Amino acid sequence: MKNLNMPMKKYKYNLVLSSVLLLMAWSVDVVAQGKAAADKPIFKLSYFNVNNSTQYLVFESLMRTEHSVLPQIGKEYEIFLGDTSALVAKIITDKHGKANAVIPPSLKQAWEASSQHIFLVKEGDKELISDYTINKAKITIDTTTADTVHSITATVQTLKDGKWVPAADVEMKLGIKRLGGILPAGDDETLTTDSSGTVTTELKKLNLPGDSKGNYLLMAQVEDNDLYGNIIVEKSVPWGTVPHYNADFFKERHLWSTGRHAPLWLVSMALFIMITVWGTLIYLVFQIVKIKKLGVNNTA
Amino acid sequence: MLVVICIIGAYAYYRQLRYGLVVTAMRDYVSWGIYISNFVFFVAISLVGSLITAILRLSNVKWSTPLTRIAEIIAVSAIVMASLIIIVDMGSPEKFYNLFLYGRIQSPIMWDVIVITTYFFISCILLYLPLLPDLKILIRHKDKTGSGLNKLYRFQGSFWKGTKEQFKISNKSINILCILIIPVAFSIHTVTSWLFATTYRPGWDSTNFGAYFISGAFLVGAGGVVVAMYVFRRYYKLEKYITELHFDMMAKVTVLLALVYLYFNVNEYLVPAFKMKKSEEAHLSNLFSGEFSLMFWFAILVGMIFPIIILLFKKGRKPLPAFITGIMVVVGAWFKRYLFVTPTLLHPFMPMEDVPLSYKHYFPSWEEWAIAMGSLAACLLIITFFARIYPIIPIEETIMEQNEELEHAHEEV
Repeated sequence: MKNLNMPMKKYKYNLVLSSVLLLMAWSVDVVAQGKAAADKPIFKLSYFNVNNSTQYLVFESLMRTEHSVLPQIGKEYEIFLGDTSALVAKIITDKHGKANAVIPPSLKQAWEASSQHIFLVKEGDKELISDYTINKAKITIDTTTADTVHSITATVQTLKDGKWVPAADVEMKLGIKRLGGILPAGDDETLTTDSSGTVTTELKKLNLPGDSKGNYLLMAQVEDNDLYGNIIVEKSVPWGTVPHYNADFFKERHLWSTGRHAPLWLVSMALFIMITVWGTLIYLVFQIVKIKKLGVNNTA
Repeated sequence: MLVVICIIGAYAYYRQLRYGLVVTAMRDYVSWGIYISNFVFFVAISLVGSLITAILRLSNVKWSTPLTRIAEIIAVSAIVMASLIIIVDMGSPEKFYNLFLYGRIQSPIMWDVIVITTYFFISCILLYLPLLPDLKILIRHKDKTGSGLNKLYRFQGSFWKGTKEQFKISNKSINILCILIIPVAFSIHTVTSWLFATTYRPGWDSTNFGAYFISGAFLVGAGGVVVAMYVFRRYYKLEKYITELHFDMMAKVTVLLALVYLYFNVNEYLVPAFKMKKSEEAHLSNLFSGEFSLMFWFAILVGMIFPIIILLFKKGRKPLPAFITGIMVVVGAWFKRYLFVTPTLLHPFMPMEDVPLSYKHYFPSWEEWAIAMGSLAACLLIITFFARIYPIIPIEETIMEQNEELEHAHEEV
């Protein structure tokens, strides 16, 4: 009976082993993302107006898979102004799936003729975007200082019938340009323009470090607005502090200092442990030498 | 097969040296990928040397004697590969000397270098000293071992005569090493855990990480020994020395360690999941039901829960089922190390600005897989190398203990 059971047992264990291996393969496969899912393309066109002087377009082409969104690299597209007779640029997407296009001088007349423009994007004969509409707009920043209190006023205006008129109800950020983005000047993250197209805020972030002269950049930004796209304006103000770097700081003994300036307590603790352990090991090596000597003497 | 995997790994490493770390999938988000997972795995499995040799020896456990050399060989091989894989992770190996020129004692990476070197040295001596009496036996059997190996044995141990004084010094030294290796072993894995725990990130921000890592390390080490026991027993026909009793006892040790590790896992995952802080939510959801959920549950179930269930039964502690369970433990542990590293790096507290979307996902490149698998194969090759040259069972010690048992039995009769 025992002998009969043996192949059956082996079969069972083989089954268990196969299941484990299958599970392993399954688990590895999970990490490889988005292989089987149905892919869906995403296209986005954005208009940028920087400091009321540089206008350009950014086109982004992405592919949404089951687990991730991947950039479409090296793809060719065409951007048109108004209709397909006015080519703005032929673009090829970069490694981020993005491509920039500047309105060429040949379209200057068409660009200046109207306060509103429609952009089209095509891939070959296929129209990907047909109704991206932009109204021309600009931002101006004014500053006032009274009794050491700094105030910032930003005004958004839009072009209508050849005249600049206030743009009301436009959400915008107003603050100080920092490395990671805009630090709000006041308490609110965003502000909305009133009927005169203005927002005003008092500078609450005091004593911010500026450049070597104490200057930093104020920044007003309208982001992804349905009517005006992206508008960014910067203005330099001498409201920052001149940073003073204490070069001696890193020469003091701290956990964050260089190796030669490690805290003494840490160095002494580490040395104590190392000397104890390695001292014992050296002692043991001597013991092996002693064993060897005993053996050699014994042979002699 | 192992050599072929190693050669493919070496070619992949050549490509990495030639083109730089850009051949890997590691970018700004996941800067520690499969290499560091492998490093943690190797450090973990190397702890078995201290468990089997030191802890059981000091506890006066006799049954583990035939397993001590297997454990020490695994420990030495794994720690060698741990040191090498960290150099692979550095990208340019020539930068290694900077660690000595500009190394900071304040950095856990420096502690790791110190403690790994120390552990390697202790493990080597602990492998060498009990080998001396066996070398004497091997030297005597020149006709069986061949002249080449005989020269090696003579070089290493011709001075061993087995005198009373030699045994006295050797036993005393081994006892000192057994005491010394325990804190060093605890340090090696605690420091490795601190590489993570001293970094403020979801999943790593824990005060429990040292104990959590050590318990996991002992588990994978025990699993590794069970696998090695089965393979060596079958290949070298060692049924007389590695008996079913050894599998039974090692399986019991594995169950205990799996239970302890499971307890730590409950602490590490359930407690943060109960609070589900916003900053940790993405990381935990990703593990429990997201992108890494299958791997996570595989590691928990196959690496811990199934082994506990199987090994609780007497039939499950027989050699073959114990061997299969050992494989489950080791494989589960490898994936667990992958889960320590990657998901956390994908979810920092403060997302990075303006990085390509591809940086927010990580799947190792073929070069990384080849190098990682090559390192595992190299570890097995070192084990095989030792096993082919030296006796896998401590001959002298095992015979002495068997004689002691017989004498004891006679006395009882």
